[in-house]
Amino acid sequence: MATKVSLKSKGKGGKGSKGSDEKSTVQCLKEWSTWAVKKAKVVTHYGFIPLVIIIGMNSDPKPQLYQLLSPV
Amino acid sequence: MAGLVPPGTTTIPADASKAAHTKAEEKTDYMNLPCPIPFEELHREALMSLKPETFEGLRFDFTKGLNQKFSLSHSVFMGPTELPSQSAETIKIPTAHYEFGANFIDPNLMLIGRMLTDGRLNARVKWDLTDNLSVKANAQLTNEPHMSHGMVNFDYKGKDYRSQLQIGNGSLFGASYIQSVTPHLSLAGEIFWTGQHLKSGIGYAARYETDKMVAAGQVASTGMVALSYVQKVSEKVSLASDFMYNYMIGDVTASVGYDYILRQCRLRGKIDSNGCTAAYLEERLNMGLNFILSAEIDHKKKDYKFGFGLTVG
Repeated sequence: MATKVSLKSKGKGGKGSKGSDEKSTVQCLKEWSTWAVKKAKVVTHYGFIPLVIIIGMNSDPKPQLYQLLSPV
Repeated sequence: MAGLVPPGTTTIPADASKAAHTKAEEKTDYMNLPCPIPFEELHREALMSLKPETFEGLRFDFTKGLNQKFSLSHSVFMGPTELPSQSAETIKIPTAHYEFGANFIDPNLMLIGRMLTDGRLNARVKWDLTDNLSVKANAQLTNEPHMSHGMVNFDYKGKDYRSQLQIGNGSLFGASYIQSVTPHLSLAGEIFWTGQHLKSGIGYAARYETDKMVAAGQVASTGMVALSYVQKVSEKVSLASDFMYNYMIGDVTASVGYDYILRQCRLRGKIDSNGCTAAYLEERLNMGLNFILSAEIDHKKKDYKFGFGLTVG
């Protein structure tokens, strides 16, 4: 009798945890996408202009480094 | 056509050649229509004449090209900036900022980035994946939370149509389609949906253009009706007029303007039904040196804006 009861409660406990698992995967996905967008925003904010400069300095004809800073 | 007819012949062959020419014009080839302009450039000619980039204060732009594709730009601006206010009077605070920019312009890839001293970044990317498909992205990023915007556009160009899909932050979705119906007329439609404000809308547009004139009209379910007409009077002069009406709010604006493109300068001016006149002069002082004068006088709001600037490179 005791084992039956314990099995029942285990079953119930198992179902309950599965339900909360499903909820948390959707939540996890939302959290991860928000985290990814936030990180992408920071990366773009700091890295876009250096990216353009790197791409530009490697294009043909290759400009010299001093041309970046001199006003001529 | 006149060159083909040798001089000294009778008038009958000349008439025949003229008739053949008009016959060719009348018989339009509906399978070979030209590709229309992109939907966001529908009112392009009218906006060029009627909405010049007027500013108030001092503006100095220096663009230094490092090679054909890559250039750096330094820009200084000092002047009052208008704050959006609910009351009738305009509130201006004096601002001064320096903007550093890097541009990389390639036939397939265009990257433009501008960084201001207060930490704001304006980034624009245009990437032509194939001849017909291109991706454009536009972002304004700030350090303040929830004040950044970004938008991605996917454009597909067909033989005589263009379609565009737009995705923006704040779950903004838009799509537009423009099709050439005759060699001069193109029709377009667009739909958009915003998640944040839960608004959606649909709009239609038409554009008729010839060598001498362009007429465009646009209607949207948000209540906006916009009509514009531009007439190219000569090589140097074009006149434009614009009519905007919002049937939900009942707000009407009509404006008339001109655009003079002369050898050394470009002068644009307009007058509005809101009692606002504006003028914008770009004078080429020397090779690569441009002097800019801008004026916008709003008699109704008593807001007078005068600006001057210099653009080098």
